[in-house]
Amino acid sequence: MNATEQIVAKARELLESGTVECVIGYERATDGVNARPLFVYQAEEAGKLIFDQTCAHNLAKYLLNRKGKATAIVAKPCDVRAVNLLINEHQVERDKVLIIGVVCPGMVETKWGRVSEKLRQACELCREHTPVVYDFLVGEPGDEEAAVEYPDVARMEALAIEERRAFWEKQFSRCIRCYACRQACPGCYCSECFAERLDPLWVGIRIAPSESWIWNTMRAFHLAGRCIGCNQCERVCPMNIPLSLLNRKLEKETLELFGYRAGVDAETPAPFATFRKDEKLEVGE
Amino acid sequence: MSDYISRADLLSWLEKVSQSRDLVAPVKIEDLTLFQKVERVEDIVFDPGNTDLSPKEFFFPKSEVLFYVDRSDGRVELVPAEVEQETVIFGIRPCDAKGIAVLDLPYLEEPADALYRQHREKTTLVGLSCVSACPECFCTSMGTTPDDASNVDIMLTEVEEGFIVQVVTEKGKALLPEGLLSSKEVSPPAAPSVASVPSEGIAEKMHQVFDSPYWDRLADRCLHCNVCSYVCPTCYCFDVRDLRSGGRVERVRSWESCQSPGFTKIAGGYDPRAAKGPRLRQRFAHKLLYFVEKFGVTHCVGCGRCVRSCPVNIDIREVIQDVQGLGVKSEA
Amino acid sequence: MAVGHEPRIVGFLCNWCSYAGADVAGTSRITYPPNIRIIRVPCSGRVDPLLIVKSFQMGADGVLVAGCHPGDCHYSEGNYHARRRLAVLRPFLEYLGIERERLRVEWVSASEGRRFSQVVSSFTEQLRKLEPRKGAEVEVSS
Repeated sequence: MNATEQIVAKARELLESGTVECVIGYERATDGVNARPLFVYQAEEAGKLIFDQTCAHNLAKYLLNRKGKATAIVAKPCDVRAVNLLINEHQVERDKVLIIGVVCPGMVETKWGRVSEKLRQACELCREHTPVVYDFLVGEPGDEEAAVEYPDVARMEALAIEERRAFWEKQFSRCIRCYACRQACPGCYCSECFAERLDPLWVGIRIAPSESWIWNTMRAFHLAGRCIGCNQCERVCPMNIPLSLLNRKLEKETLELFGYRAGVDAETPAPFATFRKDEKLEVGE
Repeated sequence: MSDYISRADLLSWLEKVSQSRDLVAPVKIEDLTLFQKVERVEDIVFDPGNTDLSPKEFFFPKSEVLFYVDRSDGRVELVPAEVEQETVIFGIRPCDAKGIAVLDLPYLEEPADALYRQHREKTTLVGLSCVSACPECFCTSMGTTPDDASNVDIMLTEVEEGFIVQVVTEKGKALLPEGLLSSKEVSPPAAPSVASVPSEGIAEKMHQVFDSPYWDRLADRCLHCNVCSYVCPTCYCFDVRDLRSGGRVERVRSWESCQSPGFTKIAGGYDPRAAKGPRLRQRFAHKLLYFVEKFGVTHCVGCGRCVRSCPVNIDIREVIQDVQGLGVKSEA
Repeated sequence: MAVGHEPRIVGFLCNWCSYAGADVAGTSRITYPPNIRIIRVPCSGRVDPLLIVKSFQMGADGVLVAGCHPGDCHYSEGNYHARRRLAVLRPFLEYLGIERERLRVEWVSASEGRRFSQVVSSFTEQLRKLEPRKGAEVEVSS
């Protein structure tokens, strides 16, 4: 059985037995080539589920809308780390989620109506193809490569500081503050986002480059040590802003400074939730 | 025989226009195509298809100062903003031009929005008809056609090596210098065929299926990311705040979306559209029912942008199809 | 190079140690440059990175965060958290185009008046050598 068949069979089984109320997976989109999220509530509908290299969405976000309700979720390795993040932060209960983990070949670049053969950049750089935790596994676990690399971040770091400043000013000037990045991110779930606060007013409603600067940089910083690198933010951005370059820089820093990767388990506290008294950190004292 | 202009003559005329007015046209920015103020006419793109954002921002800007407070000389005066610059928008497609006409309905209804009216009066629209249709366009089901010239001042239709020119309004005529156009023995190509959606009677059907659980199911996958509203040529919701800037207070209006969580939050904290289903239903109810009831036309021009940009494929064409097929509640 | 420009520094000083230290500098008549605008906070751990980023957005040339020495925090742990956040914020700001030196973190105790004034003097001098930052005067909301 291929991945799709395994997922359909498992979903049918879980719904027929009443183990879960809903299976969140993927189905074909209206352009005939891409995928879109699917919520299956009846076993008869399970046949619509698919799994292929267009299934780039991170379905973990939807668990936040299903708190306390038994739900199964089709999850790639990055999605599973998002589930761990949400469990760690007490947003989701582990015993209410059934993880149908998928050994992931990497997702491909897609646009509306067009699917390429080239892997998405996040998938190109990804080093884990087997989810770290799952209740059922679809696919054969392979040998994992250990080292995580950040060549994209290193390229940015190698630029002169004025070049970087100009680069980010140019990128953020395109931001229309739709907040799609925040809406798609499983780590962004504050009932009142800092951008919505009126007092203090961190980010006004004006859609202007310097407001967008503070929005994008601080959203990234709020995810420091929490971002699991699914890259949904960049995928949904209508203005093609390379948001992964921000998040991955912070991922690299927290890995180097604290040896921490978000979502690897659901217990280890995130770097900013803890400290060590004796640590020596370069803060420019 | 038709009025005609060669591409070369068109570009040099636009160059001239750009010297006395703001010339806005589709240009490529990284891998996006956007309407922007043009510095060089060589940057204008004539690709088939449409821009990623609609040109509504030149009438309804992303952020706009409505007035500022002047407190010099011991007085307090509210100084309204004024639109001073004349603008020419080149390359606007019939669907987007219809979109502006749709925006006119709420914004020019008395009392008219002063700034919107000024933008409208100071802008001339030079349209470019569609010689091919995108797979996701459905303009013909939404009250317009790929060659509809009724909402522009001048309409161009691409033919070999140049364009057929149709002067539609006096404003358009005033923009064209004497002798610019020549006469050519060429007729416009047939308008391309456009996919259709069953929009007939959609308002009545939307009314009937208002309470259907369909909306909760549809909203399951919606991220409320706001992209649909922001790329749409007809969406017009905004937020207004008084903000301090550079030492003075300004009243600023910026784009908002009914899909934003908290859009309907009111004083006291209650939010009538806190749930995803009613919130998403609002979008389609406004577009296909409420706007139709108030203004007689759908609040959609079939441009296809929301279809292309929704990250979870909430497809208005599919919604219209589904709604038409939903069972009617029996009238007991 | 705008030699001789007057840098504008925003200083977040914790109430119990560094603010008291700045106070000692004052009462002892130890001078320090007026370039710093001091904001008193209960603890360096209260300094939200948003405050720092907002200061830079509004045109600050430098931001100083001063707290109790690690181990001496009045609230036991606040400065440990601050240390972690600021250790990540500094390289991140540099990545965005704001020089690392513009964010300075110092542990200043309540008795270190002279040290405080030295910190402010050296910070001011250091910032004078960098280009003045332009605040986003038109766009910033407040």
